[in-house]
Amino acid sequence: MSELPQRYIPLGGSDSGGFSTVIYCTDTHLDRKVAIKFIQDEAEQKLILKELSALLKMRSKHVVQVYDIVTDEKDALGIVEEYIEGDSLWDSDCPAQSQEAYLKTLWQVAAGIADMHEAGVIHRDIKPNNMKLDPEGVVKIFDFGLAKQCGIDAHTKGFKGTLGFAAPELFNDATIAISPAIDTYAFGATALFLACKNLPAKMKMMPPLPITDDKFSGLPVEIHTELKSLLNACLSYKPKERPSMVTVRDELARHLLGWKHQALAVYQGKSYLLNVRNPSVELNATGVGKVEILYTGLKFIVSVAVGEVFINNSPAIPGEEIPGSCVVALGAAHHGSSRVYITFDIANPEVVL
Amino acid sequence: MSGPHSAGDLIGGRYEILGDAGEGGMQYVYAAKDHVLKRQVALKTPKNDSARKRFQRSAIVSARVTHPNVAKTLDYVDDGQRQYLVEELIAGTDLDKALLVRTPHLDPYLAARIFHHLAKGLAASHHAGVVHRDLKPSNVMVTGGYQLDAIKITDFGIAKMADEEIAEAVEGGGESISASRTVVGALPYMAPEAIETPREVGKSADVWSIGAMMYELLTGNVPYGKGLQAVTKIIAAAPPEFPGFMTANPQFATLSKQLIQIVLQCLQKDPATRPTADTLVEQCGMLCYPVEPRFLGYVREIRHRAWGFVVVDDEDVFFHFDCVYGDKPVLGDNVMLSKFRGGGAWRALPVVKMQ
Repeated sequence: MSELPQRYIPLGGSDSGGFSTVIYCTDTHLDRKVAIKFIQDEAEQKLILKELSALLKMRSKHVVQVYDIVTDEKDALGIVEEYIEGDSLWDSDCPAQSQEAYLKTLWQVAAGIADMHEAGVIHRDIKPNNMKLDPEGVVKIFDFGLAKQCGIDAHTKGFKGTLGFAAPELFNDATIAISPAIDTYAFGATALFLACKNLPAKMKMMPPLPITDDKFSGLPVEIHTELKSLLNACLSYKPKERPSMVTVRDELARHLLGWKHQALAVYQGKSYLLNVRNPSVELNATGVGKVEILYTGLKFIVSVAVGEVFINNSPAIPGEEIPGSCVVALGAAHHGSSRVYITFDIANPEVVL
Repeated sequence: MSGPHSAGDLIGGRYEILGDAGEGGMQYVYAAKDHVLKRQVALKTPKNDSARKRFQRSAIVSARVTHPNVAKTLDYVDDGQRQYLVEELIAGTDLDKALLVRTPHLDPYLAARIFHHLAKGLAASHHAGVVHRDLKPSNVMVTGGYQLDAIKITDFGIAKMADEEIAEAVEGGGESISASRTVVGALPYMAPEAIETPREVGKSADVWSIGAMMYELLTGNVPYGKGLQAVTKIIAAAPPEFPGFMTANPQFATLSKQLIQIVLQCLQKDPATRPTADTLVEQCGMLCYPVEPRFLGYVREIRHRAWGFVVVDDEDVFFHFDCVYGDKPVLGDNVMLSKFRGGGAWRALPVVKMQ
């Protein structure tokens, strides 16, 4: 028989779910609140070691921090974790308050899941109840009780997870390989839930029915058309049709920066800024060529190209997107020194959490 | 190894000392292996035994701040003889060593990024009611060198202890200032009020320090000099001059000017007129800067004193002198750059001469 180390003083509260119980304590050494997670069932003690191993594999600002391992009076192992202040995203209204808040939350959730997948961990229980926005606005994901590590034990049979957020393939009778696409489906469901605080009945059935219509239209928050199709794709019935979480993360980041990009064109020692206030520029070398560049809020495109206009040595085509950093030339090579070069460089604010 | 420990020592039955991990003015810093969680951590212990109470207090203070730009506090151990603060081990070096050894100053893209992250970390600590009081390059850790993989403010708690030493030294005047290593290191970044009324400094003194650090990163020099003669200059707090190279090139001038404006606001004599950390975050949040990876290479060819090629990993990268920030490189010089797909060859921006 042992008991909880004296440094941890229980505060009284606890939460239970599945196999586990979480108690809240004061860590007297550092005078801060911590959460200690135990597995109740003696026969399932190995689960806590699996969870710990998954937690320690990841280094992500979106994954809860582990501080210590303890044993309680029943010799059960407990994981001492950082306590995150605030409501879970299930209860929080913050993400739905504005388009920016919504996209910023989704982007962080996607970044957290992408970090897990990069470390070879599949969470298997992504849902708004298992994440919080900390006081600094950073999304933290916790409860890795169902997490699996790619390749080691990544098979399952029978339903595990949470109805509404569990992917349709998890309801199969056969043993299936666990893939990161399970988390992608759950992310799509989370995205939908955060916008309307509910899920459609079709998704809550056992198994969920295929979704054929656009679920991300007519929500309280306005979502860009391109982004809608990406979020709908996360809910694809077939796992292979769901995008990778890295793709989801990067697309969300691009939309989060909508109308915040800035391009700097330097032409004969003068600089021209393109941004939301000044969305187009015309650069003209009389008698040789003329190009107009337009900022659409997400990208910079060639709106007009007349005469000899080259982008990185290829003829410019109206409508084409301008790459991140390039050289625009007015006049073909045979013009020699009368050729005009314009450097065109795109940058944006960095979203720092 | 320095300090009371050598490799193999076990602390608190859990942390095995692996080796030195730098040394602060007030404390020894070790890299250690945490046998419970099978990971490496940083272990800090005060040099001065009498500091015991304050050390635990400082650990508690630093544990209140949770942010990606602040070093995480993991544990605190008092084994009856010594006290130890356990922090995440940051596989990097401090700001000066990471960034101001091979280049005399930073280009505005990198500087803006550092400014933004420092402001974020500072805002998080100010939200938690924690004033750092001793912000200086040796209290900022950078991993990944010029890639800036992570930027973390550290030693929040220690600052409170340093504070006491600084207050005593400043009140003692000239000789006691030069005698204190802690003060000598901190002085160039100290706000006027930290020198004049050292026991009454608030959050805005941290904002000044960030401004002074940014001035150094942008120009290569601290704003008011080092050593004792800096004292009168800091107290006078005349707005510092910025070198012409920062704004000479239209490719960089826009961002440079924005950075200069923010730094000047941080370095205002009256603490009340400096931006808060939150305002600083807002201002940095509007700066546009690329976050592309950096590469090292050497100048292989220069033509017409206008353009040329840099070799990066056996591959040519085209560069134009218009895309060089600071001193122009000559044939054979080492340079740092980011590269972009051009038509055929890579194109470099920015190009910065290395030492």
